[in-house]
Amino acid sequence: MDEITALRQIRPVESDAEMEAMLQRARERYVAGTGARRTPRAGQRRRSPVLAGGLTAAVAGGATACLALTGVLGSAPVQRANTGPPGAVVTAAWTVREDSDGTVTVEMRQYADPAALQQTLRADGLNAIVRSIPYQLETITLPKPATAAVKRPLRAPHPTCLFGSSDNAPQAVQNAAVTISDQPFPLSFVIHPDAMPQGSALFLTFMAGVPVAPKNGYTGVRPLVPVVLNNSTVPPCVPVPTKTPLTSGPNAAPGPKG
Amino acid sequence: MTAETQASDADLIARSVSEPDLFTAVFDRHSAEILRYVCARLGPDMAQDVTAETFLAAFQGRDRYDGTWPDARPWLYGIAVRQIRRHRRVEGRRLRLLQSALADRPVPDHGDRAAEMVTAARLGPRLAGLVASLPPRDRELLLLVAWAELSYAEAAAALDTTISAIKARMHRIRVRLRQELGGSNPMNEENHDG
Repeated sequence: MDEITALRQIRPVESDAEMEAMLQRARERYVAGTGARRTPRAGQRRRSPVLAGGLTAAVAGGATACLALTGVLGSAPVQRANTGPPGAVVTAAWTVREDSDGTVTVEMRQYADPAALQQTLRADGLNAIVRSIPYQLETITLPKPATAAVKRPLRAPHPTCLFGSSDNAPQAVQNAAVTISDQPFPLSFVIHPDAMPQGSALFLTFMAGVPVAPKNGYTGVRPLVPVVLNNSTVPPCVPVPTKTPLTSGPNAAPGPKG
Repeated sequence: MTAETQASDADLIARSVSEPDLFTAVFDRHSAEILRYVCARLGPDMAQDVTAETFLAAFQGRDRYDGTWPDARPWLYGIAVRQIRRHRRVEGRRLRLLQSALADRPVPDHGDRAAEMVTAARLGPRLAGLVASLPPRDRELLLLVAWAELSYAEAAAALDTTISAIKARMHRIRVRLRQELGGSNPMNEENHDG
């Protein structure tokens, strides 16, 4: 036997059921991306990874991670930039770039498209969870307008709940895993995947789609703060009291499910 | 049998320029094979996304397809390889996991397994480690031949190079593997230029 034949013997393969499930999801994404006619396929089943030689082995990253991806497949396909650095995904809202040293840089220009951001980060091998924070608009009056242009009450987004977790990774891990840029806008941060402990998750939250025009780069939106969780459990969104009576009805922008 | 199932890939792709829905037949024809290859290299967590991206890129570039190739597999593998390049770190982790899994599995008994299974089981962990240590471009060529089972001509088309260049690179890769594995035995040269 030569080396090519030996290599074929060790090629990892998935069970037929899992391949069918993955194929179905890939097809859904393809159809959504091309606008082709939809034709349903068989449903998904659990994976049972095996090697070509008949070996049952946990070679893959884990069934939960694979299944978790289904939560974002309904989002619009990410548009890849024709320009910009190789390996970067650029949308109107943000840029995700995998650098040659293995780090991943995220630059946020708008707080939008959380599902696609999650999808993109996961495609770069990060166990990322991105959620949008539900909000309502409240009317506030600045006590002392900073500029002559600000003369009337403003409508500002107010989070109706915030994600909090008692299962955050230690601060030393947070510091090692994420470096946040000092510049105020656009917000950018660098993720160091090698500093992410096994089983941990990078949790990103922001108020998505806030209808507030940026002024000098400042949107009035609560800044996104990446947090490393010890596991992939999404913390609950805890209600927060409002400072002033809320105006128009709920304006929540739900993030990806899962 | 419909006209779509009888048509060559080249014909379908050419017609899909004006009838985009026809490209779905190309997806249905080849997506399982591409998915298997991507899955072997990157794992199931990424395979479906990368496969979808591969066919979306193919769909967007279908008007540039070289119609002299009736079979679209080399073209699709070429696109898949370019998508996989974006995830080298993931592939590295995958190969290390594969190496560990192979090292942990018991070597089959000589009595009830074919000799090549025994050989593969013994060589598997080292082979996986060697594949991981190859330069990325060599690794992608080797795995196009070994895992996707492309001929040298198809691999040349996928990687947009010449057959002679592929032959030279494959010879060099195989010599290196053989040397790293400790000589010519237990492997013997076979021709995979199908």
